[in-house]
Amino acid sequence: MASEPVVELRGVSLAYRLAHNRTGSFKQFLISAVKRQVRYERLWALSGISFDVRPGEVFAVIGPNGAGKSTLMKVIARVLPPTDGRVIVRGSVAPMIELGAGFNGELTAAENIVLYGALLGREPDFMRQRIHPIAQWAELQEFLDVPIRSYSTGMLARLGFSVATDVAPQLLIVDEVLSVGDEGFQRKSKARIEEIMSKGTSVVLVSHSLDTVRAMAHRAMWLDHGEMKMLGAPEEVVGAYERVA
Amino acid sequence: MMRASHANVYDSARARRLLITEIGHFWEFRGLLKLLITRDITVRYKRSFLGVWWTLLNPLLFTAVMWMVFSQIFRFEIEDPVPFIVYLLAGVLIVTYFAQGVIAAGSSIVNSSGVLTKVYVPPEIFALSAAAAAAVNFLISLLPLFAIQLILGVGIPWTALLVPLPALAMLGLVTGIGLLVAAAAVYFYDVLDLTGVFVNLISYLTPTFWPISIVPDRLQIFVQLNPIYSYLLVFRNFVYLGQFPPWYVFAVMIGTSVGALVLGVWVFSRAWKNLVVLL
Repeated sequence: MASEPVVELRGVSLAYRLAHNRTGSFKQFLISAVKRQVRYERLWALSGISFDVRPGEVFAVIGPNGAGKSTLMKVIARVLPPTDGRVIVRGSVAPMIELGAGFNGELTAAENIVLYGALLGREPDFMRQRIHPIAQWAELQEFLDVPIRSYSTGMLARLGFSVATDVAPQLLIVDEVLSVGDEGFQRKSKARIEEIMSKGTSVVLVSHSLDTVRAMAHRAMWLDHGEMKMLGAPEEVVGAYERVA
Repeated sequence: MMRASHANVYDSARARRLLITEIGHFWEFRGLLKLLITRDITVRYKRSFLGVWWTLLNPLLFTAVMWMVFSQIFRFEIEDPVPFIVYLLAGVLIVTYFAQGVIAAGSSIVNSSGVLTKVYVPPEIFALSAAAAAAVNFLISLLPLFAIQLILGVGIPWTALLVPLPALAMLGLVTGIGLLVAAAAVYFYDVLDLTGVFVNLISYLTPTFWPISIVPDRLQIFVQLNPIYSYLLVFRNFVYLGQFPPWYVFAVMIGTSVGALVLGVWVFSRAWKNLVVLL
C-alpha cells in the first residue's frame, strides 16, 4: 500500500549491556562470578525514538559524533534488534552502512559481487547475470578475475557501492558513504542515488555534510545523546543545529 | 530477483519467535548458504600449494601415523572383521568431521562479525555453512576409505549407500553444539580454546584406534555416554560391515542430533539480541 510508511519507529530504545571489569575471558568471568563481582551497566545508545518515513521521502539524520546515528541506521537495517519499542520496515532494504562488508579478499571481484549481493538478499542466479553491469559501473571490468585483496580502498568502495545500488530497493540506508572516493566518483555516486530516488525509493541518510542534507532531504532529525532533539524541515533543523555546533 | 519475504515486512515485535519460522528462514536463504559453503571450502585452501587436496591428505597422514604406532608397536585386537587400518580410518574420519565442524561453526559468528553488524542475515546461516563445509570434507574423504576397502578386499557393501544418514545426523549435532559454542565465544574469547580441549577429549574417548572391549566394564558407561560413539558405530556398520546397528544405537544418534540442533537454535536465537551488541 502506497500510503503506509516505509519505516515506522515507535519509542525505540537500544541499550548496550556492558559488564564491569569485563576481561573477555571465561576463566576470569568464573572467578569474578564466584566472588560476586559481576555487574552490568546499561548504556542507552538510543532512547524513545519515534518517527515515520513515507514512500519516496528522503529522511536525514544529523548530530555530533557518538549521538547514536549509526546505531539508529543499524536498528532500521534490522541488524540490531531494539531493546524497547517497535520497528517496522516495509519492503526491500539496501543498507549502505559500510560498503563491502562481507567482501572476501581471497575471492575474485566476480565471486565477491555474487556473494555480497546474496548477503544483501538478492538471489545468486540473478547476481551472476549482474556481474558485468556492476563491474562496468564501477569501472573495474579488467580486474574482475583478480582476488580483491590486491584492490585499493577506492576500488573496493566503488565495487561495494555498485553492488548495493544495482537494484532500486524500497528503502536505501546511507550512512556516510557519499563521502568516499575521489571527486569524480562522488559526483557519479550522487547521481546514482538521485536516479534511485526518482524511482520512488525512500532514503534514510546520515551525513556530516549539512549542505548535502539541505539539498537532498525532505525532512531532517537532529539526534543528540541518543535522543531526538528536533524533527522537521531540513532548513530549520540544520539551522538550529548550526547555531549550537 | 529479490527474495520474496525478504522484500516483505520486518516487524521487530514479531521477529524471532518460533523455531519453525527460523527453519523457514534457513530455506529462504539457501542460495546464500550454498555460496557460503563453497566459500568456506575454497577459501581455506586457496593460497595453499596443495589446495583442496589437503582435505584428503590431513586425515590420511594422521591415519598413517596412528597406523604405524598402533599396528606395529601397540597392538589391539579389534572386534570388527576388517584390517586395522580400515577400522582406524573410519574412526578418524568421524572424529575429524566432529572436531572440524564444531570448531568451525563455533568460531563462525565471531569471524563474521564484520558482516553481521552491517547487513541483516540470519546469523545461524554462518554456523550452518561452516558445519556443512566440514560435512562436505567428510564426504570427500570417504573416497580414500573406499579405495582402501577395495584394495584390502573388504569391498563396499550396499549399506554404504546409507552413509549420508549418519553424516546428516552429525551435521545436526555439530551445528547445534557449534551454535552454543558460537554464542559463548561472543562473550568470552577463551571459549574457543576450551572447545578445542573439549573436542580433543571427546576424540580420545571415542574408540577410533582402540576396541571398546579393552575398557573395563565399570568404565564402559563413559564410552557409551559419549554421543560420538553412536555415530561411529552406525558409520562403521554401514560403510564396511554391511549390517544394521542395534536400534538403540540408532536412537541415540538421532536423539542427540535433533536434541543438540533444537537446543542450539533455540538458545542462540534467544541470545542473539544480547550477542549482536557485543560483536
